[in-house]
Amino acid sequence: MIIRCTVILCLFLSGCVTSRIEQSRDTVTGIQADEAMVILGRASYNDRETKASFTECIEAELSAGRGAIRLIPQDKFKDDLYPWFEPRTAPASASDLGRLFAEPGVRARIDEAKIRYLAWIEGDTLTTDKGGSMSCTLTTFGGGCFGMSYWEQDASYQASIWDVNQLTSAGKISADASGTSYIAGLVIPIPIIARPGNAACKGLASQLREFILGGN
Amino acid sequence: MVRFVALKGRTQGIRWSQSPSVKEKGKAFGLMLLSLFLVLTQSACTNVVVVHGSLPTPLVEKIPARLGVYYSEEFQSFQHRENLPQSGAFEIDLGKQNLYFFRNLSSALFAEVREIDSPELSAEQGLELDAVIIPSIVEYGFLVPAMSTLTFHEVSIRYQIQLKDRYGKNLGLWSFVGYGKAEASTFGAGEAVGEATMLAIRDGGARIATEVAPAIATALKEAGIGHQKELAK
Repeated sequence: MIIRCTVILCLFLSGCVTSRIEQSRDTVTGIQADEAMVILGRASYNDRETKASFTECIEAELSAGRGAIRLIPQDKFKDDLYPWFEPRTAPASASDLGRLFAEPGVRARIDEAKIRYLAWIEGDTLTTDKGGSMSCTLTTFGGGCFGMSYWEQDASYQASIWDVNQLTSAGKISADASGTSYIAGLVIPIPIIARPGNAACKGLASQLREFILGGN
Repeated sequence: MVRFVALKGRTQGIRWSQSPSVKEKGKAFGLMLLSLFLVLTQSACTNVVVVHGSLPTPLVEKIPARLGVYYSEEFQSFQHRENLPQSGAFEIDLGKQNLYFFRNLSSALFAEVREIDSPELSAEQGLELDAVIIPSIVEYGFLVPAMSTLTFHEVSIRYQIQLKDRYGKNLGLWSFVGYGKAEASTFGAGEAVGEATMLAIRDGGARIATEVAPAIATALKEAGIGHQKELAK
């Protein structure tokens, strides 16, 4: 009964998130049981880059459940192919793969790990608006919070899938999610949290799995 | 909250004055608290940065040459100390990790590598080695979010690599920057600066492997040094 109440309360206290997933396919896809995929977060030298927590969320979603895909961890892949997938040296497009594979040992190492696809994840979650006010006080007679504050977040991510066997782009999937979180102070603070980043992760991972396994 | 604590303290103070043994215990407890406070504030002021992380071996073709590498004392024990007005003092010890990485890197880049204890080769070493490289750290700099207004910590390391032939003649000098950035950590700025430093060393290594090493190979070839392919095997 307590568990049921907690679940209902959590559902009630979760903020609304709207999300949209779009896909464009360039080639026919498919993956053998022994083949693997690598999820890579695109890092750049400006102030925006894909957080490791987002790629980890995608990895956790893809490697679990029905239709799980064999994944090579991003850090292991980057270490094994150092220095060719560092922010400075990583290929910017699928057409650069040919040049990269001409480097000694790169093709052999990719083949050895049976890597079929690379999925580059690009994007981030931004707070687009925030407002309201809330104050909390604590005295000898007790305390409490009064007021309300809110913040709106927008998560926008894109996955570019490269076919390592054909050295081409297999397609792109984009996920956009937005939601507003609130904290209402009615003596005790009541948070109603929207998690657009989490919604974008689940949506993108689900579509990515379908894309890879789906065929044409 | 502060008022509440002060009132509570005064009440306890009256109770202590009633018994001398309790009063002494209270004094000792107070001293202990003061010492603990001093220790905590001292350690909070200085961020001792530990640099650690994975340092992979680069996947590149070896340059067919026998090289001596001279790591100066300053390079081997490089430390950076800086006091930032808003963020406190930082003590970053990157020499050990940097040296470990360069040893690994140079062994992967050249057919044969030997560490030497002087930048000039002895007559005997001159017979066995083709050239000498001398890496050095010219400058280390870091930024914390309070200074840069960005959400992450940034580190830049300016490296220099000098190449000399076995007679001490200068064959080239390359200067480049390794850059790393890391998100603010739950465990404080020190950990984020450490992670950014590790990424800067790693980036510096990537620049050496992909840009400096080919330039060194060309310089050696132009000087007619160690271009026999079989050396690499």
